[in-house]
Amino acid sequence: MTPPIRDITIVAAGQGGDGSVTLVSALGELFAGRGYHVYEAREVASRVKGGVAAASLRASVDPKRCLGDATDLLVAFDAAALEQNASALAPHAYVVYDSSEGPAPRGRIPATASVIEAPLSRLAVRDLRRDLYKNSVALGLAARLLGAPDALTEETLTTHLGKLSEQLRAANVRALRAGFAYADEAGLTAGSASWSLDRIEAEERVLMTGNEAIAFGFLAAGGRFFAGYPITPASEILEWLAERLPSFGGVVVQAEDELAAVNMTMGAALTGTRAMTASSGPGIALMQEGVGHAASAEIGIVIVDCQRAGPSTGMPTKPEQSDIGMLISGGNGDIPRIVLAPGDPREAFELTVLACDLADRYQGPVYVASDQALSQNATTIRPPDVRGISPDRGKLLREVDLRDAAEFRRYSLNGYGDGVSPWTAFGTPGGQHLVTGNERDEWGLVTTAPAMRTRMTEKRMRKLETVRDSLPRAVVSGDPKAEIALVGSGLETGVMREAAERLAASGVATKVVQIRTLWPILEDVLEALDGCRAYVVEHNATGQYAAALSAAGAAARVHSILRYDGLPFRPSELVAAVEEKEFA
Amino acid sequence: MARTYTPSLPIWCAGCGHFGVLNALRSAVRDLRIPLHEVALLAGIGCSGTIQNYLGTYGYHALHGRVVPTAIGVALADPRLTVVAAGGDGDGYAIGAGHLIHAFRRNVSLTYVCMNNETYGLTKGQSSPSGFLAGDEGSFDGPLAGLAIRGSTFIARGYTGRPEQLARLMRAALEHSRERRGFAFLEVISPCVTYADTYPDWEHTLYDVDADAAYSSGDRALAFSTALRLAEDRRLPIGLLYRAAEHAADASAPAVPASSGAPTPDLVARYEELLGRYAVRSSSGAGAAR
Repeated sequence: MTPPIRDITIVAAGQGGDGSVTLVSALGELFAGRGYHVYEAREVASRVKGGVAAASLRASVDPKRCLGDATDLLVAFDAAALEQNASALAPHAYVVYDSSEGPAPRGRIPATASVIEAPLSRLAVRDLRRDLYKNSVALGLAARLLGAPDALTEETLTTHLGKLSEQLRAANVRALRAGFAYADEAGLTAGSASWSLDRIEAEERVLMTGNEAIAFGFLAAGGRFFAGYPITPASEILEWLAERLPSFGGVVVQAEDELAAVNMTMGAALTGTRAMTASSGPGIALMQEGVGHAASAEIGIVIVDCQRAGPSTGMPTKPEQSDIGMLISGGNGDIPRIVLAPGDPREAFELTVLACDLADRYQGPVYVASDQALSQNATTIRPPDVRGISPDRGKLLREVDLRDAAEFRRYSLNGYGDGVSPWTAFGTPGGQHLVTGNERDEWGLVTTAPAMRTRMTEKRMRKLETVRDSLPRAVVSGDPKAEIALVGSGLETGVMREAAERLAASGVATKVVQIRTLWPILEDVLEALDGCRAYVVEHNATGQYAAALSAAGAAARVHSILRYDGLPFRPSELVAAVEEKEFA
Repeated sequence: MARTYTPSLPIWCAGCGHFGVLNALRSAVRDLRIPLHEVALLAGIGCSGTIQNYLGTYGYHALHGRVVPTAIGVALADPRLTVVAAGGDGDGYAIGAGHLIHAFRRNVSLTYVCMNNETYGLTKGQSSPSGFLAGDEGSFDGPLAGLAIRGSTFIARGYTGRPEQLARLMRAALEHSRERRGFAFLEVISPCVTYADTYPDWEHTLYDVDADAAYSSGDRALAFSTALRLAEDRRLPIGLLYRAAEHAADASAPAVPASSGAPTPDLVARYEELLGRYAVRSSSGAGAAR
């Protein structure tokens, strides 16, 4: 009896269009259905077809939220895909290679690994006349290796292709059976690779990407206006909402550019409609003037930044956290702003809901900082709570509130020590006011009077303090007395936890401080780092968050672990980076 | 009722064309009996960008060049409002020109008034993209650009030297957008008496199509060719240049309720249904559908 799989990393690679992503997500469902946690990642070139594309899957009994160190099972559709992925193979890995064009180049494959050469493309063409179905042939072989019963694999594939026509689904099932038949010929019975699927009792889970969670969170928070311009890796938010928001009475606009998008978002917010925009670095750079305007004119909006490698157009499909500097200090003038940073799709949902409330409560811009990996990778999570959400609109006045009031000053200073003035939605009888990004008096009329300027500036900055207690605290895990802390956010979340566990297991007590509010920097972060050597893990070349943390008072403790090659950390790489600094 | 801001007095120079625009807008709002709280008046940057302070409506001072997209956001999010965007030729034809083209294309129901004085007045007289009088062959012609986009529905040009016609055009523009027939574009020749006092020149440059019995404002091709032919003689048409004959209301915007309060049980049920589509179903074999 083979012991069941506890933790496995699977990669499928080929040319873009070979079906690697579909193959991996079908395997993901196979595992998820058995109670495993899954984490799915894609690695694609920024082009429609072609270029080596890979999809990765980690299935594990415990939640991991990152890929494993080495590939246990690789499906390679051609020589280039094999060569590119061979060096990451585990010593006893299995490789399924499409041998239609010849045998597998074995040069870089570990000698202890097993290679199964199968003419995937030729089988698909022979039986179904289409090369297209070769990924379903490969699924048959891979599932056999993993010890999955054929009936389960077939049912999973059928469900997975639920959106396809009956005919296409049937063709894929035939391709899958061709894969089983080939496995029979090759003597690959279930379990022959000494893997077997467990059945794990699991709580209720959903599988979603960060972008899906952000879009869903916005909808569930009562968000009803979204404007955006297509950009990788943020476009899925626009697409998700465009498909669904109208049926909830909302509006989605694909704007002509990001300048229009952020200004449309502000326009919608003026009417009392919850409004959001989303983009990535280049688009967020274009929006900087608008974000400053939202802060000055006191308009509550949410801006999502799905960060990718920069500067300029950088590497559109690769994750980075190199917008942190822009998010926490970009734009002209003194801009109060909030920057939230979810670490997984569940937090992405929850922090987007919170961002909507914060935007209303402090009447200014709230960023949700994501990254390509968090945005586009899918993870199993506990389902977010869609029942208990009750939007907090802050000091929004209705007609009835105005009826009894002696006067309404939009930018009122008196009696509001928290800096937050009451506001009205455009169209509210009696609530007419002037909104401007110029300095203004309490009525919204433009002024340069020094005393008023000073008070208005202080009022705007004071608003941040008002909501400070509602900002999400860092998630601190691991040994509280540890002298080493790993500090990071977003895509570092899962890998930091795994690295800390391994360090602890090797006798190096380590805690993890997952930052969820990048700005302002909260006291609890500094407290958590007290007495620690803080290794700030971030995907950029200049230590942008570490610099902010240092300026906030942690300078003596902060050391940077940086990465900017477009790849996420694997746990062993992060462990090695810490050990290098600790024991160098 | 709460006392709110007192409209301020215009900052404009004595004799500025913009007074004419303000008067036309004030009388259009009054004549159409629109309550002030139902008017969203958004303005750009420049001398024209103070007009929102003078009427007692909801007012918004946009970023330079961005008044049109902001107004589109307002109009889409609350179609009950009468949305008027206003700005100068620098705002609309230079830094904001990209948005103008897409406003014609989108045809969202709102009125955009471009107060064209062919100069940068507030920054003291730099040249503008709309140097028609100066003889610039490449000068940007907003109405002509709008006519070139087949989805445009209302294009007019007024002149502050002819206040009665201007008031009529302003009212027609507001009616067009309030009837949800789309984007009403009104360019107003509004001279800057300080840096480009062109009143004497415009009188013999403008050609009033409203006074031409042979002209039809329902004919896009005629509007286009008329403008081009007049330009060859260094003349510019004013009046109702084009209005789409069909009274098709734009279907772009349902009324969006201001989102607040706890969601209704019906809404929660819909969210849960949506969440269910991401659910990981334990096997027999079925998995999450994405």
